[in-house]
Parts: sequence; structure tokens; C-alpha cells
Amino acid sequence: MSSTKNERSYKAQKVLDRMGQKLNRQMVGSLTACVHCGMCTDSCHYVLANPGDPTFAPAYKADKIRKLFKRHYDWTGKVFPKWVKAGSVYTDEELQELKDIVFGKCTNCRRCTVNCPMGVDLATFNRMARGLLCYVGIMPEGVEYVAKEQWEIGNQMGVLKEDYIETIEWQEEELQSEMEDPTAKIPIDKPDSNIVYVINPREIKHDPRSVLDAAKIFYAAGEDYTMPSEGWDMTNFGLFNGDDDLGGAVAGRVYDKVEELNGKKLVISECGHGYRSTRCEGPNWAKKDITFEAESSVITMLKYIKEGKIKVDKSKNPGSYTFHDSCNNARSCGLTEEPRELLSLVVEDFREMYPNRAENYCCTGGGGAMSMAEYRPSRLKSAKIKADQLTATGAKTVVTSCHNCVDGLTDLIGHYKLGMDVTQLVNLVANALVIDDIVDENKKKYAEKEEVSSGAAQ
Amino acid sequence: MSNLLHFSEHTLQEVALVLMATVYFLRIKWFLKWPLGKERQPATGLGDTNPKKGARYSFGLIAKPWAMESTRSKPFMYAQFVVFHLGVVASITLSFIIPYGPGLLMSSTFVSVIQVLVGAAFIVGVMRIIRRISNPYIRAISSPDDHFSLILLTSWFAFAFLAAPNDISGGEGVMLTYFILTAFFLMYVPFSKISHYLYYPFTRTYLGRHFGRRGVFPIRRKPAYQVSK
Repeated sequence: MSSTKNERSYKAQKVLDRMGQKLNRQMVGSLTACVHCGMCTDSCHYVLANPGDPTFAPAYKADKIRKLFKRHYDWTGKVFPKWVKAGSVYTDEELQELKDIVFGKCTNCRRCTVNCPMGVDLATFNRMARGLLCYVGIMPEGVEYVAKEQWEIGNQMGVLKEDYIETIEWQEEELQSEMEDPTAKIPIDKPDSNIVYVINPREIKHDPRSVLDAAKIFYAAGEDYTMPSEGWDMTNFGLFNGDDDLGGAVAGRVYDKVEELNGKKLVISECGHGYRSTRCEGPNWAKKDITFEAESSVITMLKYIKEGKIKVDKSKNPGSYTFHDSCNNARSCGLTEEPRELLSLVVEDFREMYPNRAENYCCTGGGGAMSMAEYRPSRLKSAKIKADQLTATGAKTVVTSCHNCVDGLTDLIGHYKLGMDVTQLVNLVANALVIDDIVDENKKKYAEKEEVSSGAAQ
Repeated sequence: MSNLLHFSEHTLQEVALVLMATVYFLRIKWFLKWPLGKERQPATGLGDTNPKKGARYSFGLIAKPWAMESTRSKPFMYAQFVVFHLGVVASITLSFIIPYGPGLLMSSTFVSVIQVLVGAAFIVGVMRIIRRISNPYIRAISSPDDHFSLILLTSWFAFAFLAAPNDISGGEGVMLTYFILTAFFLMYVPFSKISHYLYYPFTRTYLGRHFGRRGVFPIRRKPAYQVSK
């Protein structure tokens, strides 16, 4: 329903009412403290890729949300609206315009946050604004679709339980074949395990190799682990669409399953937003203090090598590699050193990308951007910054610990014809595994068993 | 000294200060009524940082231009920030020295120090006005309050420069203007963006604690684990 400036649309009113319920003191501080110094401007990859266009500047985008806060919740804006650029929304068209900013011009990467002298956290209230719009049904179609899948089916790619189990079983057969061990298992719902391993549905749907690679590593380490049959999706579109209820429900499913299985530790496969959602934000959204340990599979793999549980040979990964820090891992979870340490143990030629760690640029697929087809041209234009960063390393392969980044990087590498490959640490670690002795032993053991059984049959 | 100048130096300033303090009190009260977002996630990161360390680092960023890319890559902007804010401190100090400790201004060195600080801040103020009007990025985000606050402060620096010798032998115009501007400044600040320093400790603490808990602050910029071939 649209309306004129004299009367506010139903949705616009809902957005303003809801804003009051979603604000907290941290956000109010960020909404109030900006001095319009412009120091954040050059930190944004959208700005750098669109020189001369101030509408991409973080402070400009922030002001589109800030004006609503000032007009309706901050008394200076209530008394002197024009003086402080406070304003309201009246029509659904204005909400659509806001949608194009909060979804289409910002990946919530938080690069401006770490560059703001005042400590303004734009990404946090940009996420809130996304949530307000989603609350009234205004969001990119792809975001709506994925969120619906996650609400209704339990994972963001709508993978049915049968398909999930079937894929795990298929990878189990691959594992048995590669390890020459017909008893090798990828356990599902095994109670009292040391580790409950949760993954990104993309691994089931598009990249089952990463499930196999993780299984090989667990097998080689002799780990007592399980994958859950439910609550296995560690990704969370609640982070992208700003819906704390969805965020809490999805993270809660994972936590409940770990508790049901009495798992000692939750290990989250490589995914930036999944790690952030499940490890960091999930307890806040679900309003639940988790009682078990939770860690990234990057840390688990690194521990295996350091503790001598697995052996790796870096010469098995020839070629040159660089590492792309996922924004969520680096800028929101401090996961910057462990992936580098692990990478340096499994490849011979690691070339650092600059800037890196918490100063790295977004792959441009963050914030759910990969599901927003309508903004693809703008996203790929902004990806020029990342493309230049990648090219400058001279590396042939870019490694990242994030499935979203894999897709974002693959898209931009194709667009800018960089001719680079994209891979994840789990693939490199699995490839570098020194398992010949395990496989030979298995071969011998099962050959002997076969001989014994065939002898008994005769 | 005329009654008007005496009133401007004392009563007017005191009233303005009381008003400013009252509005600041109300602002803080308003701010604190917002619920504090709770952090439930277990601490992450390398384990060599924590919320307290993150908050300290976050506060310290103001004095570490090398720590943030935005200030590291624009040292001239950072220098402007330092000069401008030192000018504010000098000008505020002057507004107390003239009525309550004029003896200090007998020292020409002291007067020169004040004049250098506010004079430099005036130049920076003019540069900032030009930047705010001419830079398309800054112009696009500027509100009338941004422009007015900057012009107000820059003008105030100019009159602080002239008032620093505390000499009314040539007339009271400069001193009157400086004190009336100071009083207006004190009353206007709580309603304007100039009051950003009121929120600064909160925003930096909250962000620092948040990033400290997650192992993001202090930001690491180590060399790579393995140097490329």
C-alpha cells in the first residue's frame, strides 16, 4: 500500500514502530555520535570502485537510517529536524529506496567500523535496518527465498533430510574407497561424541568434496565425531536479513542438537558468516548461553597437526597461494592468525595479500549479496578492488575459509578474467595428508581378512 | 571594565555553563535509558585479548594515527584533527583565565602559546569549511548544523586569538564578542554535533569491549607466516 506525504503507509509506520523495539544503547551511540568527518569514506570498496559518487559513502548510507532515528527517537531531530537532517518515511517507495541502500550498497563488512575515529558501527545498524524492512516484507527476492527455506526446511538451500543423509552416505563410500577401509564411517547422530561437526548446505548441494575432505581428516586423526541429522546447517540468514528471530531459531537448532547428542564440542566448518552466526551472534539471538565448546574447523585442523594427530606434506600442494580473510571471520571473530598458520603448514608458497586480516577488503559477496541477483552488476563493479588485490599477489590460487567468499571470489575472478583458482583450507589439508601408511595398513589388514574368510569358506 | 563586559565574563558564562551541564545531564540520562545489548558469546580470538584490553585499545586509537588505515593514510587530516581540538582546549581555557586568572596573561610567552594554538585552529577551521563545501563526499553528508558548528568554532577561534592579550585599551568590542560567542557556544553545543565528545567514551568503550571479546582489537598487522618465494 502506498500513500502520500500527508499520511504514512502501513509498512512505513510499522518500520518506525519496530525501530524503537530494536534499538539498544550500542546502536543509539553509533546513531548519535557521527560527526560527518568523512574519514570512513575511503574504507568502503563501493566508494573506491565508484569514484565521485557520494551516495556510496558509508556516512551517506548511514544517514539514510540515521535520519529516521533522529526524527522519531532523538529529541534534537524532533525539535529541529531540518537543522540536523532528520527525516521520516511515508511511502512504500521510500522503503524500497532504503532497501536498495541497506541491501544493495553495503555488504555489512565492517571495514568502515574499524576505520571510524568515533567508533560508529554502521554495519550493526545497517543490519537492524535490513531487519526492519524484512519485517514488513521489503527485501530482495533472493533473501526472502533463502530465509523462507531456512525457516521452513531448516537449512538455507532447502536440502531435504533424505538428500543430506544420502550425500553423507555417498561421501562415506568415497571415504571407504580412498582409505581402503570398508568400515570407515561418517557417523550420523552418534551420541556422546567428542565433536559434533556442522556444515554449510552448499557443501551438500554443490561441494560434497569438502565433506569428504573433512571426513578424511577426522579419519586420519582418529577423531570420535558425528554429524547431526538435524540442526546441521551452521549458516544463518538471520545475520543477513537482520531477523534476530530467524537467527535465534537457526542457531538454536544447532545448539539443541549438540545438547541432545551430548556432544563435547561443536566444530563449525569453514564459513565466515556461519562461524560468526553460530559461534558469536547465535547465543545473543537465541538468548541462550551455550554450555559446550565451539570452534572453527580451522582451529581443529591446526590442533591436529600441532598435536601430531595428523601428518601433512606441503609439497603435495604445489603452486602459489594467497589468503583472503572473510570479513566475518577477521573483523567480527578475530580469526586471522590460525588460518595463516595452517596454510603455511600445508603449502610451500604462501603470498600475503595487502591489506589483510581485519583490514582486508570484502570479497563483495558478503552480507548475503550472492543471493541478491538484482545488485550483481553493482557488486561486480565494486569487486574491482578485490580483483586488484588478488592480482597484486601474483598467486595462482586464493584460499579462503568461507563458502560465501568462495562464491564471491569465483564470480569476480571469472568477471575480471584473473585465471585464479579458489579453494578452502579443508581441501588443502586433506590433499596434504600423509596417509599412505594408513592406507597401506588398511589394504594389508583387509586383504588378510579376505584371505581368512575365503579360506574359511573353502 | 564596563558592567556589560563584567557581566559577559562572569554571570553570562556561569548561566551558560549551568544550562550546558543541565542539557548534558538530560542527554546522558536519555542515552542511558536505552537497554544495553547483552553479549553472550564465549570469548573468541587468539586469547591474548579481552573486553578490557579491547576497550583500552579502542580509546587509545585517538593517539595512534598509525593504528587505523583511515588516519594512517591521511596524516594531514589527523594533524588537522589534533590542531583543531587543541585550539578548542586553548580557547575554553582562555575563557576561564581571563575572568579568574588574568595574571597568567601578563606573560607574553603564555599569550603567544594560546595565540599559536587558536590561530592554528582557526586556519584549520577555514580549511575544514572549504573542505565541507568543496568536497562532494563531505558536502553530501553535511547538515546545516555541521556547517554552522564549524563556522561558529572558527569564528570563536579568531576572537580568542584577538582576546588572548586581555587588552581593552583599544575598546571592549573584541572581548565582548569573544565572551558572548563563548556563552552562545556553551549553550548551543549540547544541541549540536559538537557534543559528540559526550558519546565518544561510550561508543569507543562499547566497540572496544565488543571487539576485544572477539579477539579483533588490538588489530594485528603482522607479516605473513611465510615469506613468499
